[in-house]
Amino acid sequence: MNQTRVLFKRMTDHPADSHTIDRYLETGGYEQARVALGRTRDELVELVKTSGLIGRGGAGFSAGMKWSFLAPARPAYLVVNGDESEPGTFKDRQLLERDPHQMVEGMIIAAVANEVHEAFVYIRGEYPKPARRVQQAVADAYERGFLGRDVMGTGYHLDITVHLGAGAYICGEETALLNSLEGRRGEPRLKPPFFPAAKGLYMLPTIVNNVETISNLPHIVERGIEWYRGLGHDVDTGTFLFSVSGHVKKPGNYELPHGITWRQLIYDVAGGIRDDNELKAWVPGGASAPWFVPSEHLDLEITKSVTDSSGSMLGSGAVIVMDETTDMVAAAERLVRFFAEESCGQCTPCREGTTWLDMILRRMLDGGGRAVDLDLLYDVSDNISVGVGWPPKQTTICPLGPSAVSAVKSLLEYFRPEAEAHIVRANRVPVTIKGFGQ
Amino acid sequence: MSDMVTINVDGEDRRVPAGETLIQACLDTGSYVPHFCYHPRMEPVGMCRQCMVEVETPRGTMLVPSCTMSVNDGMVVHTKSETVMKVQEGMLEFLLINHPLDCPVCDRGGECPLQDQTMACGPGESRFVEEKRHYEKPIPISDLVFLDRERCILCARCVRFSDEISGDPLIEFMDRGANNQIQTFPDEPFSSYFSGNTVQICPVGALTAAPYRFRARPWDLQKAASTCTHCTTGCDISVDSSQNQVLRFNGVDNDFTSHGWLSDKCRFGFEFLGSAERVTTPLIRGDGGEHRIASWSEALDLVAGRLSAIIERDGGGAVAALGGARGTNEDAYALSKFMRTSVGSNHVDAQMDDGLEPQFLAAVAGRGRINDLESAKTILLWGPDLKEENGTLYLRVRRAAQTLGARLIVVHPRRTGLDDRAAFKFTYRPGAGAETLRMLAAGEGEFAAAREALNEGPVVALVGRTGYTEDPRLAEAVAAFARDLPDSSLLVLARRSNVFGALDMGLAPTLLPGRVSADDESGRALLASVWGELPDAVGRRAKGILQGVRDGAIKALLLMGADPVRDVPEGALASAALSEAEFIVAVDLFVTDSSALADVILPAAAFTEKDGSVTNLEGRVQKVNQVVAPPGQARADWSILDDLARRLGKPLGFGSVEIVAKEMAAAAPAYAGIEWDHLETEAGVVVPTGDARQPLHYVPVAGWPPGGGEGSIAEGGGSGATAFALHYARTLYDDGVLMRNGLSLHKLAPGGFAAITSGDAGRLGVAEGDMVTVNEVPLPLRIDDSLLDGVVYVPFNQPGIAPVGDSLEVWVLPFTQAEGINVSPPLGGSAGGHEGSDGEGGS
Amino acid sequence: MSWPAETIARANDIIARYPERRSAVMPLLYMAMREEGRLTDEGMRLVAGLTGLTPAQVQSVASFYVMYKTESQGKYLVSVCSSISCFLLGADEVLHAVEEAAGLPAGEADDEIGIEHAECIGACGGAPACLVNYELVEGVTAAKAKEMIEWLRNAKPEVINADELQTLFGGRRSFDWAIKEDNGAIGPYPAFPPFGTAAHNTPALEPGRLATRNSRPATPEVGAS
Repeated sequence: MNQTRVLFKRMTDHPADSHTIDRYLETGGYEQARVALGRTRDELVELVKTSGLIGRGGAGFSAGMKWSFLAPARPAYLVVNGDESEPGTFKDRQLLERDPHQMVEGMIIAAVANEVHEAFVYIRGEYPKPARRVQQAVADAYERGFLGRDVMGTGYHLDITVHLGAGAYICGEETALLNSLEGRRGEPRLKPPFFPAAKGLYMLPTIVNNVETISNLPHIVERGIEWYRGLGHDVDTGTFLFSVSGHVKKPGNYELPHGITWRQLIYDVAGGIRDDNELKAWVPGGASAPWFVPSEHLDLEITKSVTDSSGSMLGSGAVIVMDETTDMVAAAERLVRFFAEESCGQCTPCREGTTWLDMILRRMLDGGGRAVDLDLLYDVSDNISVGVGWPPKQTTICPLGPSAVSAVKSLLEYFRPEAEAHIVRANRVPVTIKGFGQ
Repeated sequence: MSDMVTINVDGEDRRVPAGETLIQACLDTGSYVPHFCYHPRMEPVGMCRQCMVEVETPRGTMLVPSCTMSVNDGMVVHTKSETVMKVQEGMLEFLLINHPLDCPVCDRGGECPLQDQTMACGPGESRFVEEKRHYEKPIPISDLVFLDRERCILCARCVRFSDEISGDPLIEFMDRGANNQIQTFPDEPFSSYFSGNTVQICPVGALTAAPYRFRARPWDLQKAASTCTHCTTGCDISVDSSQNQVLRFNGVDNDFTSHGWLSDKCRFGFEFLGSAERVTTPLIRGDGGEHRIASWSEALDLVAGRLSAIIERDGGGAVAALGGARGTNEDAYALSKFMRTSVGSNHVDAQMDDGLEPQFLAAVAGRGRINDLESAKTILLWGPDLKEENGTLYLRVRRAAQTLGARLIVVHPRRTGLDDRAAFKFTYRPGAGAETLRMLAAGEGEFAAAREALNEGPVVALVGRTGYTEDPRLAEAVAAFARDLPDSSLLVLARRSNVFGALDMGLAPTLLPGRVSADDESGRALLASVWGELPDAVGRRAKGILQGVRDGAIKALLLMGADPVRDVPEGALASAALSEAEFIVAVDLFVTDSSALADVILPAAAFTEKDGSVTNLEGRVQKVNQVVAPPGQARADWSILDDLARRLGKPLGFGSVEIVAKEMAAAAPAYAGIEWDHLETEAGVVVPTGDARQPLHYVPVAGWPPGGGEGSIAEGGGSGATAFALHYARTLYDDGVLMRNGLSLHKLAPGGFAAITSGDAGRLGVAEGDMVTVNEVPLPLRIDDSLLDGVVYVPFNQPGIAPVGDSLEVWVLPFTQAEGINVSPPLGGSAGGHEGSDGEGGS
Repeated sequence: MSWPAETIARANDIIARYPERRSAVMPLLYMAMREEGRLTDEGMRLVAGLTGLTPAQVQSVASFYVMYKTESQGKYLVSVCSSISCFLLGADEVLHAVEEAAGLPAGEADDEIGIEHAECIGACGGAPACLVNYELVEGVTAAKAKEMIEWLRNAKPEVINADELQTLFGGRRSFDWAIKEDNGAIGPYPAFPPFGTAAHNTPALEPGRLATRNSRPATPEVGAS
């Protein structure tokens, strides 16, 4: 199955130097920024709205709508979310490393559209190489007059600052990211009232967009709405970057249209399961998403609406494939542990609940499982995410706590016998009695 | 005031104020919603998730934290639905999984929100079988506060208080997730002046106060409402006692004074009450100067005899009284009447030569309320550093500037606690206040924008003396300026908790009870109808009294809770006077530097040991209540004076404090109609109220100073002996007698030092920590670049440090240079001299 | 202790990038680590002074993020990813091999090497993966990881360069890295030229960017008295 390369095109065509300003300019770079500088906010917001561009950060909200909500107070800020940390996701890293100017140009377009003169790129601390590439791109853009006091001679002022995180998954949540950028603990803010479009960075109107979302902008400006919509599938316009990992033969980032099936993605695109093993389950949209299983979901179309209605989400586009050899309790524990370790600790159910879930799962893995533990796992989950449904009815401030529940819910829903077997096995571990030899 | 909306809570319609938080609306209308992090005086953070309720929305029933949601009309809320109950129980289970069940040895046990809400909404048992979190149990995070991180439920109340309310973010969340913990920075203790509030609002026993730890079980405590008497703000408090011992103060929320907060001095400053050093019997000084225990009748007979003899010989004017600002209004009224009628003297002063014009304090026209700060657009603060001298008022001003958006203008000789919230801060050299005021009023140069801001009303002006060397007329001139600002109101600041009550009772030569000028004929006539004949002779104020005693014009001195040797800025004058006095009687709690010189010391009942009323800086009269019995034979001032008056043959007629209060309401016009019953409300009563009127309205005088400057100081920078302008001001903790007799706070006094700029230090060739002398008093040097060059700041009344005097101009010298050199005081007068002080030579 | 004038100047350049001083806390904390190899109390005090915060506020921020290390991590911090995708492909074996080769359990360090498990480092397509001083190596095996530890101990590279690591010890990558880079890390903190933490540093400010701005003032010194 062929990829539809838009965001990945330049780096595919020019692998050795797609990150340089010379190559970028040689392939038409920064022309769309110039076009955008000649347009009004309304025109650009309308363009992006009509293009159907959905934010690629995981929440799946229309980027144009998000822009249109920007409150009138000024200054306004633009923050690009490059805190890619959702387990299974590594697409932004590739965009940042291999085609940073594509994002910088997208930022100029987003800045003009939102009357922003000061923009930030927040890149996770574990990505120093992508950060260096972006920093170099920004410096080159300043040098060429694409950034600074007088962008491309238009008098428009735009500064971009690259900000490095320091190891906190939760900063991928946009309000936590803003706190972090303000020099605070990366704790999510309350929504309401702190919607970034009204009260964002320094309590001023702020647009937060994901790297991939922003990287789409030059292409939409260049080739228009029709072309962009045509790339996609129905309401899911444009291409979509899938990060496929786990037990597949060909893991990697793939740029694809929506609308193919999971079977096509896993077997055709990613080459099928390693050692030709059986597929056991996969996480369709990053570690936060409830799992899919072949018996129910393999032939579903990959679209936002189908995925949502099937009880999961496309999220960040990370597909984590697990084969028959996988111990599902261990996999669930590893996912829950991630969220427990990355919980900011602000709110009670996430701080205490995710940790408790992980303790129970670990105890089960260590042979200390009890018959009541599965019901306890469910009920603790229920106190984090009422009804343990999807989308979650969360008791938490942000979706991190319910993300931990996804794995537990999936384990109990699809692999309960396996989990029970763990407990039975655990209880059969013989007690060593002194004097009876080994 | 605000619009009301209707919400439906659990099937019942409720009228609640629009915009109110949902949780508050529920709590106020009778539906209890459990909560931990929510506190009505702080921004909601929605962290504990205990207050989850269900709200019906067009998209279905939503589970929301009720603390972060505002009510709107027609809102339908479920606080008791199955889902809500399940979630609330779930939250409590989460909170309890890591909470140690050490309730039997926890100070909070018995009054613990976590206990109580678990009882009401929590699970019967825990399903948690894993290992709980462990931390080193309780660690001291300051001299006053202990932290037990195992008990902490991470509600952030303490963190938010310190950041949002008190402005000293020294206690913070550290680490992340399940390892989240409250901590201070290594070697940076939680030395906030307001740290005790965090103990009070901690919903578990994680933060405990050193003075109270393990002292009592809550169910053994008797609680009594009262009013704090540490400063002139007059905050509501609850006094907890057990077995005739005061054990704890807590702040009580009201909308008028402190919003429930207290400074640590207010909260922990009661320890002196139980001090073994209290005077518990009358003491009579023998020939050898030693005091011996005496009976009340012997002591009172002696005092009456000596006073009678002096009055007979030299007239009532040979007797003077100092003090009265630390007692109740009833005490002050009794003293006022005692001096005017039983003695026949107008020599009375509640201030210790460190205050302001009595009529200005008692009856300034345009007097405002603390709550004017809530609607102020612009605030002018030109007075003492509120953080040091009026802690809870500091919090109110901070709130106005930080949360309510008022523009704050601070004018002061050095850094103040509010500078970080000030839109404008002007630093001036002591002595240059008049010129600074002139420039501000004219909007000259750097003052232009601030002057502009002052055109935007309502303006609240907080005015007082920034320090002891400042001419008291400056504050009045500032008040005169502020009076003409748009929609302005004035709060005048002064020392000693009940100074306003004392002045209202006529404890100043120029005042009679009820805000009546001493030369107001109709006022005199009215008072005479109750008191009988009043003395005519013009009375002296504190300094004049002390001079009179020293020079022999005044023979006898009555000290009512007054320690002039320590408290009068010109301590040497007080020492000289007291050693010259023919007869001194001190009514006091302790043997102080002053009462030690008294011929008779009479043991006084302290606050919490007597009933009465007090008056705050707004003129708000509030009740103080007896909680414990006075120690030994100590008695309330009014009752001592009543006995004494009877022995002098001019009885006051006070059989009980209620009688004093009733007569006060009849004789003091501004207090007309005040009955104690009226005062038992949270807000007390601002006088005058109802039909009462206040005869005196004092219009501050703007005409000062004639012809400009207050005297000039030579520019610093010369070598050797350099004249500095002295800024001599109070700190919250000092060597005051009540502090000295409390274990917890006295050690927190910053100690003596002299602060100058780094530039001046360079010029003098001294560095931080070096010893210097200020008016021959050796002090360690501190660098403080918030001062102007040529200014030296010395904190007042520090343990073991001699006073440096209140003269504006002082010498600052490197200590080695001062040694053996006899430098005479620059102004030659008496002000700088400290013969007999132990300052010289650094023994 | 204080920082060299050059570092202070760089810090001020960083502060000037942000509308409020406080925003510079995170970059400055990295600079503090660069100065002393780890984040010390004194380093946090200095950052507090530069950003107008109390040291407690700075520590509160620093302790939230796992990359600010108050304990020494030696010269090379090896972070073995243990999250789901790496776990599925043998991350635990890699971590075990690293621990064994270094003679250290995860979470500890000697003078040369520090070992830790990390949560997802964004190399899931090249799982299992590790970071050495936050420079990536993908597609490692237990055996290669062991070799890598030995190499770090013996070769004692001044600069950790990802291309070199990948060539020596790596395997399957998340995607084609394609572009060679000679920059790298000089210590257990991320190599980012504006902070002065990379082998080949550049000036803090981008060319043409104004060095001064009307940065909103920081809250002045807050303290007890």
